[in-house]
Amino acid sequence: MRRWLLIASGLLLIVLSVIVWQESHRIKPIALIPSLTGQVEYCLTCHSNLAQISSSHPVQTFGCVICHGGERLALTADLAHSTLRGGANPSDYSVVQTSCGGANCHSGPASSYSDHIQRATTSIQETYAGAIASMLYTFGAEPDLNARFATSAVQAPGSTSGITSLSLFAPAPSSNPAILAFASNCLNCHISGQPLPGAKYFHFTGCAACHTPTQIVPGTNQTLPPTGQIHKLTTAISYTQCDTCHNRGNYDLRTMTFQARQDQPTDRLHDYYQPIAQFTSCEYQLDCIDCHTRVEAMGDGSLYRQETDIQYIQCKTCHGTLADLPQTKTMTDPNDLAFRLAQLNPVVDLKLGDTILVTSKEEPLWNTRLLSDGTYELFDKAAGAQYTIPLVKGSGCQQDPSRQDSASCHLCHSVRR
Amino acid sequence: MSSGVSRRDFLKLARNAILTVCGLLGLGGILRFLAAQTEPAPQTDFDLGLETRYAPGSRTVFPQIPAILIRTPDGFLALSLVCTHLGCTVASQPDGLTCPCHGSRFDWNGKVTHGPAVQPLSRLRVDITSDGGIHVHIA
Repeated sequence: MRRWLLIASGLLLIVLSVIVWQESHRIKPIALIPSLTGQVEYCLTCHSNLAQISSSHPVQTFGCVICHGGERLALTADLAHSTLRGGANPSDYSVVQTSCGGANCHSGPASSYSDHIQRATTSIQETYAGAIASMLYTFGAEPDLNARFATSAVQAPGSTSGITSLSLFAPAPSSNPAILAFASNCLNCHISGQPLPGAKYFHFTGCAACHTPTQIVPGTNQTLPPTGQIHKLTTAISYTQCDTCHNRGNYDLRTMTFQARQDQPTDRLHDYYQPIAQFTSCEYQLDCIDCHTRVEAMGDGSLYRQETDIQYIQCKTCHGTLADLPQTKTMTDPNDLAFRLAQLNPVVDLKLGDTILVTSKEEPLWNTRLLSDGTYELFDKAAGAQYTIPLVKGSGCQQDPSRQDSASCHLCHSVRR
Repeated sequence: MSSGVSRRDFLKLARNAILTVCGLLGLGGILRFLAAQTEPAPQTDFDLGLETRYAPGSRTVFPQIPAILIRTPDGFLALSLVCTHLGCTVASQPDGLTCPCHGSRFDWNGKVTHGPAVQPLSRLRVDITSDGGIHVHIA
């Protein structure tokens, strides 16, 4: 009896010692109570070294869980990550509404400029509607070039383009082999598509496809983290990010395969979009987003067949014509969208009373400003460089006054490549 | 055993020692359990010192609240610095209060002068004690 008592007490000591050892090695959680949720989160226990994702999303206000999901009180990686939304990327369009949506966030009304999700998920860059329509028409599957299909089924009841819905593009196995090959090989570059293999093509999906920089910008000290974790959102989108889709080759319609660029461009002029295209100096010196505005890039909430249906920026938008100065607007409303955009990417200190350029649809080019000498300045949205915008009016331009479209400007101003 | 301690006594001594250690460990665990403290309730009352510390027209930011105490000709005004848009901490600028997150701006009365916020900053209750001490309450 005494022997068993001794053995039992020994076992008890071992058990208690194990408990004490485990307690002494237990992870000390780092608690965060974001002001927006008021609920404690332990994510920083492991992720305290992550950079703040953007000045608009401070971790003290948002925390992690409101965007990423996950188990906020878990102290093991597997459990904490078991309910993450979109894996490491909560902006993927499959979960974006839950992660980024909300009336005060990114799925609010257009009147408060917070309809980002509605615009982006109906934009050409996501639907790929024009490419799909062209391919289906080319191979006889559709009678015309009208857009009927997209990379996912999408509705836009308020669409003003005449297209209010698109069906999911999912060709039947018995379809033309070219159509099947297109579906298999050629949908990598819409926003929800998985990028092609290779570092130069790498981008995330969803909002992060554009807003999370995965490419090193030449001439900067930017480096990518060795972990592959890029915790950053920005509206200062460099052309290098656009290049992950728009500059790495072409799709061969005969074989329905991607043909990668074979050249190795070493300067900015050649490291810019399609090798066959012609550019004026500002088109390759600036960044894509300096001309292609938020509406052109992210859509306006309507469904379109192709990019040219919504792309409307012309050279004359900034440079005017022989007869007219460019369209401008003087900032009198402190709630103007231009101030919101300038606040997010403060390359220019926009003030009430400033006069800025606007597009023909009165979309503000908030990174421009009329100077006291009558000239205009433009700040590159990604690099912050300042440029003076030359005006056509009063210049030596000899173009036919009736031909002031961009194509006509290119006849004289394209740079030889 | 040759040392004079019998095997029985040795085992008894070992058993008692083990049980004593187990008892102490168990007691330590119980004391730790009893001594465990829950998260303290957030502070709602802040002593900001004597009113003589604040010159007329002064604007003093208290990041720990966070709030700004403004001495006006009529007395003291305390504004919460929690932005009414999404809860970021508003910063004091020469021309008013600005939210660094989304650009909302407020005047010195807390009124919105620039969206996206639509609600004014919260006014906090200010009590002045009989000896001139200023207390700000956030609840």
